[in-house]
Amino acid sequence: MISTRLFLTLSTGFVMLTTGLPPLQANPAEAQARLKGAVEEVLRVADRAPSKAALPNLVRPVLNKHISFSTMTRRAVGPGWSKFSAAQQAQAVQLFSQLIVRTYSDKFTPGEHPVITYKAAVTPAAGRVDVPTSMVYKGSRYAVIYRMEQAEGWKITDVVIEGVSMVANYRTQLGAQYNKGGAQAVINSLNQSVSRPK
Amino acid sequence: MKTAPLFFRMLLLAAAPLLTDCSLVKQAPLAAADLATTGTSTEKPLTTGSQTDELDDYSEVSVGDPLEGFNRATFKMNDALYTVFFRPVSKGYEFIFPKPLRSSLDNAFENARYPVRFVNSTLQGKFKRAGRETGKFFVNTIFGLGGLFKTSDKIPDLTDVPAEDTGQTLATWHIPHGPYLVLPFFGPCTLRETAGMAGDYALNPVNWGLFWRKGGDWTRDWTAIPPAANTVRSLPDQLAKYDAAIENSVDPYISARSTYIQNRNAAANE
Repeated sequence: MISTRLFLTLSTGFVMLTTGLPPLQANPAEAQARLKGAVEEVLRVADRAPSKAALPNLVRPVLNKHISFSTMTRRAVGPGWSKFSAAQQAQAVQLFSQLIVRTYSDKFTPGEHPVITYKAAVTPAAGRVDVPTSMVYKGSRYAVIYRMEQAEGWKITDVVIEGVSMVANYRTQLGAQYNKGGAQAVINSLNQSVSRPK
Repeated sequence: MKTAPLFFRMLLLAAAPLLTDCSLVKQAPLAAADLATTGTSTEKPLTTGSQTDELDDYSEVSVGDPLEGFNRATFKMNDALYTVFFRPVSKGYEFIFPKPLRSSLDNAFENARYPVRFVNSTLQGKFKRAGRETGKFFVNTIFGLGGLFKTSDKIPDLTDVPAEDTGQTLATWHIPHGPYLVLPFFGPCTLRETAGMAGDYALNPVNWGLFWRKGGDWTRDWTAIPPAANTVRSLPDQLAKYDAAIENSVDPYISARSTYIQNRNAAANE
């Protein structure tokens, strides 16, 4: 028995030594607090917008702070990502973040605030917390889940509205583009979407 | 009365689920835990070991689309139809009816849809949910002036009852989607959801008058008014959701398909 305990102690110590720190433990309360702060900050900034057209430029710095665009882009592109050159990856992140900022801004009307009820957060994996919310906006109720991950602090890596994941949705579209023409086809398609007038 | 107004006849065509029953819309919160596997049952992995990092559990949203060429053509035609016909009707409706009146009409039509939700909750064995639906219906009908006001929102237990429909019931019975279809006028659908849409149509009291009207007997044209009104009142919301699905997309057709399938799968899992 003693030898078993000793073995366990030693092996645990060995694992900790070889892996450095213990794995990150997701802290739902911390992630949720971070999300609440981010939403409030976006709403505050959005309220200052003189018009809807001015929204994207105003909210971009705030979203940059709270959303991990690099993670979102990588996952939206999918397995083809590793075939992108560093320059292509940077360009894809820049274009994709423009699309996301535009998508996010489109959903807001300055001055109209959603009523958000935060439900109990869950931790499906270490370093990840999902925060389900119920949002009433302009008279309609929406189920929105924020997926948060720990990368230089808690950041949003996906938004799931009424069961529709933004990342999964783009992955389906960009995956098809990648299969057609590789990295350049993905970048061209993102470029086209960004330049398409609304 | 042989010359029934063409307008009503056209709306009657659309009164089924154009964007109302078989569209991109459903109140279907996705359980947070399901996010981890967005589509394990609904999506297939790109390739084995195709994830980009440890926490990447995404894959392409998959549904059989053997008629893609035809579906794309119908999608394009629908888009044009929405622009030239339904958007003007929607704008006109919004212009004529003030927002509070529109909200009340939405509430009343949603309240009238109670049999769809009740029957399908029951068929799925969700008896507690069926009971909450019944409670909601009576509260709104009695205290909300026939459903014009959503009085049930003041009762916490009745505020957020997930709406069940026939498509979800069929999914619960393990009937697969079948091929993806873009129906003329109605938009994104699958074979299973088309059957679901027919069930919802039959269960919705708003449409019951139509079953009473015999073949060419246009003396009962008035029976088309409730379904037509239902279609018109739902247009602004449905078109907004359609726009949200295709705006800022890389490929609007794929985006609409992915949005529709994810939404319906989440609704079925709820």
